[in-house]
Amino acid sequence: MSTIAIDAPGAAGAARIGALLRSLPVGVRIAGAIVALYLLAAVLPGLLQPHDPFATDLDAALQGPSVAHPFGTDQSGRDVLSRVIEGTRQSLAIGVGATALSFVFALALGIAAGLGGKLVDGAINRFLEVLFAFPILFVALLFVAVFGQSVTTQIIAVAIGTAPGYARIIRGQFLTVKGSAYVEAARAVGHSYGKIVRQHVFPNAMRPLVVMFTLGVGQAIVWASGLAFLGLGVAPPSPEWGALLDAGRAYVTSAWWLELTPGLAIVVFALSVTIVGRHVQERLEGKVKVQPL
Amino acid sequence: MALAGCGGSDGSGGASGPKAAAIAAKEASQPRRGGTIEYGHYQEPPCLVTTWVQTGYLTRQYLEQLITVDDKGKFLPWLADAWEISDDKKTYTFQLKRDVTFSNGEPFDSAAVKANFDNWFSTDPTRRNGYVAFHVEDHIDRIETPDDHTVVFRLKHPHHPFLSALSQYAFGFLAPSVIKKGPEEWCVRPVGTGPFVVEKWNRGSNVVLKRNPSYSSPPGDVENKGPAYVEGINWKFLKDNTARWGSLKSAESDVIYDVPGVNWAEANQRYEILQHVTGGRPSQLALAVDHEPFNDVRVRKAFQYASDRRKAVETVFQGAVPYNGNGALSTSSPEHVEELEDYYGHDPDKANQLLDEAGWTERNGDGTRTKRGKPLTVRIVYGAGSIISGDGAQFLQVVQDQANQVGFDVQLKPITTAEFFAGKGRQPGEYEIQPGYWVARSAEIFQVVWKPDAKVPDGTVIPNANNPSRFQEPEVWKLVRQADRTYDDAKRTALYQEVQRALVEKHAVTVGAYPLTVTLALGDNLTGIRLNASIGEPIFNDAYFVK
Amino acid sequence: MARRLGGAVFVLWATATFTFVVQLFMPGDRATMIINTQAGNLQSPSAEQLAALNARYGFDDSYLAQYVRYIGDLAQGDLGISYNQHQPVTEIIAAQIGPTIVLTLSALVLAWLISLVVTVLATGRDNAWSRAATGFQIVTAALPPYWIGTIFLVVLSVQLGIFPVEGSNTLVGTILPAFTLAIPLSGFLGQITQDEFARVLDQPFVTSSRTRGIGDLGVRLKHVLRHAVLPAVTLSGWALGALFSGAVLIEVVFSRQGIGGVLVQATNGRDIPLVTGVMLASAAMYIVANLLVDIAYRFIDPRLKSA
Repeated sequence: MSTIAIDAPGAAGAARIGALLRSLPVGVRIAGAIVALYLLAAVLPGLLQPHDPFATDLDAALQGPSVAHPFGTDQSGRDVLSRVIEGTRQSLAIGVGATALSFVFALALGIAAGLGGKLVDGAINRFLEVLFAFPILFVALLFVAVFGQSVTTQIIAVAIGTAPGYARIIRGQFLTVKGSAYVEAARAVGHSYGKIVRQHVFPNAMRPLVVMFTLGVGQAIVWASGLAFLGLGVAPPSPEWGALLDAGRAYVTSAWWLELTPGLAIVVFALSVTIVGRHVQERLEGKVKVQPL
Repeated sequence: MALAGCGGSDGSGGASGPKAAAIAAKEASQPRRGGTIEYGHYQEPPCLVTTWVQTGYLTRQYLEQLITVDDKGKFLPWLADAWEISDDKKTYTFQLKRDVTFSNGEPFDSAAVKANFDNWFSTDPTRRNGYVAFHVEDHIDRIETPDDHTVVFRLKHPHHPFLSALSQYAFGFLAPSVIKKGPEEWCVRPVGTGPFVVEKWNRGSNVVLKRNPSYSSPPGDVENKGPAYVEGINWKFLKDNTARWGSLKSAESDVIYDVPGVNWAEANQRYEILQHVTGGRPSQLALAVDHEPFNDVRVRKAFQYASDRRKAVETVFQGAVPYNGNGALSTSSPEHVEELEDYYGHDPDKANQLLDEAGWTERNGDGTRTKRGKPLTVRIVYGAGSIISGDGAQFLQVVQDQANQVGFDVQLKPITTAEFFAGKGRQPGEYEIQPGYWVARSAEIFQVVWKPDAKVPDGTVIPNANNPSRFQEPEVWKLVRQADRTYDDAKRTALYQEVQRALVEKHAVTVGAYPLTVTLALGDNLTGIRLNASIGEPIFNDAYFVK
Repeated sequence: MARRLGGAVFVLWATATFTFVVQLFMPGDRATMIINTQAGNLQSPSAEQLAALNARYGFDDSYLAQYVRYIGDLAQGDLGISYNQHQPVTEIIAAQIGPTIVLTLSALVLAWLISLVVTVLATGRDNAWSRAATGFQIVTAALPPYWIGTIFLVVLSVQLGIFPVEGSNTLVGTILPAFTLAIPLSGFLGQITQDEFARVLDQPFVTSSRTRGIGDLGVRLKHVLRHAVLPAVTLSGWALGALFSGAVLIEVVFSRQGIGGVLVQATNGRDIPLVTGVMLASAAMYIVANLLVDIAYRFIDPRLKSA
């Protein structure tokens, strides 16, 4: 092993990745491949698009799926597959961006509440209680009314709407972990507060959040698409998935591909991300069990 | 001119099957009493009396005007029996119908008419009627009521569109006691003289209209001279296109408003369709001439030539809405110039040539033309959902794509209804294109749309918000005023047509798109509905159930 | 109890404050906006007209004065008059909140039923059923509610005619909207419950129950379920908020009366008193829901009774 590493470090890396892949269940491998494909579509959409996603062709309006247009065409003859691919970047930006931002809020609040004193905890709890009283779409409507419609507004609105849920879970995790046996033990052994938090409390408290995050990304995309449904989404001709879903709604009976394909794009992505997320969590759980104090 | 009352635009005559059978049964039937019409409408207004055209469809059922108009442009009596115009055209005297009462028992008389006008011209904005003010406030000197049944309008100057204005939906009269109580009252409990009475407004759901049993003031364009045949109308707000169409298909509604484009073919094949093309200013794109790039007429013309708007409208709306290429005036307005419909055909070569001539010769990395380093960017700011429907937004995207092909960089800027009414992005200099329409019966809309900015004594300028292209050529305004004062029909029409030519051919300030339409699809049981010749409000005085 | 009441008042105050203040910073002039909304088009109001409206609504006062006045009225139960509807906000909301409560509560109950049935029957059985159940929950959690709603409406109401197309407050009229809202939520609650269920199934007390001869379903229902639902019960207060959000969309799809339509119209019309009123109503609902969740929690988890 070590000699190979010296001779060809690249090969060793590849071998290790290969071994890791082989150890994954088939479902997780497929899900991982799909997620990778989505990421590719988000970064380099042109690589996958058969047509220009914005080029209209009035002679080819509302054509069903075919070899030339695997997802059919829309009312002005644009290629739906190319549009769904083009929309990946914005939709993922909204989904991942809103969830990540939400986690940042939530972590700050949750950690402060979980680790701070009673007073801090009480104040943050009150604050969360207020945030909880705002349904996510209500906040989003207010935000769009004040700041106008844009991807940034959507990300911030969805993040604020979802943050209190995560914050409460994070706080709960920190409180549980802080009072757990191994932290007590670590303290007994004389580890410093900072070290205990870094090495034990933080990693243990973060574990369940992986699945929360993957669930959250799908949810965020769905909420943002709700804004599109109310006509408050991103500006056309952007093919953000929510906007596509909204535009296709009227065509459910006559041109089903307009509504079905962006819907599937959302569902397949959420499904794949969740499967990967669950697997990652299982792995982490396994690791935690053997982690020595 | 208008398609009002026209039974289906798609070969309804030759069609067979349930639609033909139903129409035959309707034609063979006699009016009969009874039944409540289930009507699936679109938008719900915030208040039951506003001057918004969407409210106008509703107010038509309970508020009535002095006169109405037929599809030949002839003015007909309504609450006024007769009227005469003085020789100097500055005095309009109306004789009111006698023994007409509001549904709460108050008499309808000249004092009631005066009270309504005073309310419309009020400086209190919650009372003021902007629509009425735009059309007649500049022209009325004073209103006199010599006796209970005579109303005299003294004008400052002759104004031929005065009658046409009075025949429009925003001139319906409320009972004076309701006016006194203010919008808190009339928004939910309006009282008029109309064939129906507002019984209850279940906000978010429907307005329950009951027949007015003592109705006695039918307009000249209906046959039934007494109370309505039906017992009432359940006026339902079904904003969602799928639900509205589904409600007709499942017979939960007897008639629905605005058939979605996607269902247009099926609707024509299966149901009786009434369509009215609303007059006035069609949905068009106003090009802002007050700054670059559209301050150059060559760039304006290039934009017109850049896109195949006729085909875009036909494709995107799937036949539910016709093309209206003359952006100055709707195809249904009597003065509309037909040749202007295709004045700017799809001609990318010409567009390119014009842009080259105008000096937009360089190209940047995106293929956008530039001049002195500045890209040829045009922002289209529009009220999404409120002014431009989903299909309308599709149309804009086609125009955008095609204009980009010749080197424009078209950006779509949808704004919410709140922003739209707050004027966000609509101040001079914040947009290059603004789509919009303005309903009216005819070319009288010119004096609203093209009125120059007002200058108040202290020197500040109040821009005419109805003129988003900021085009204020004195020549054109002079023509408009001249036409408004001309009582000779042929001469007046010629002048209005000259205005259209100037706006479209010479100055190219408005890009035609499609007109506002009122479309009703009727179930097999219901007949006798008419669409008003002016704005197309549905009229139910003659409506009845076949069986 | 006093603590709870204090907390509730605090939440309501903060909700009103946040909503009111945010709206003060909305773009555009409020008086112009009210005039335009009323007329249905862009007007060029004169200074005189604007002054009249500013005086009527006190728009000329400082923001602080406007805020203090609003909160003062609020303390007396007066939510003000809607700018665009010209009616008291309390009346508008009172007329619309009923259908929304019925819709969201039925959806919550349905979501719980669906997720529990799937969880109890499928979790921890290492077979195709279990995997299918997990897949079902992940997929349903990712479905946009208005998307399901549209498909339900088109297929079940328009095409097959099983349910009415137009929304109504009748039982039959509530079935489809409630299911539409419940399905994504059941996927979400289900995933959380299922994780917990699987964890509890491994606990020693479950194994000991099995050795005492209690059947598998009995164990699942009697012992595991009670523990497994706790995390999701905690989330029910949150879930109600999510349902409120979903209701905004679903009420549009099914043309139902309700608070969602009011909110959309009010934010569009920049109707500050009405928007604030709707937010307050939803906050009040949330407070009540949380109270119920606490009671449910004590009922389900006996350990808390003594605590």
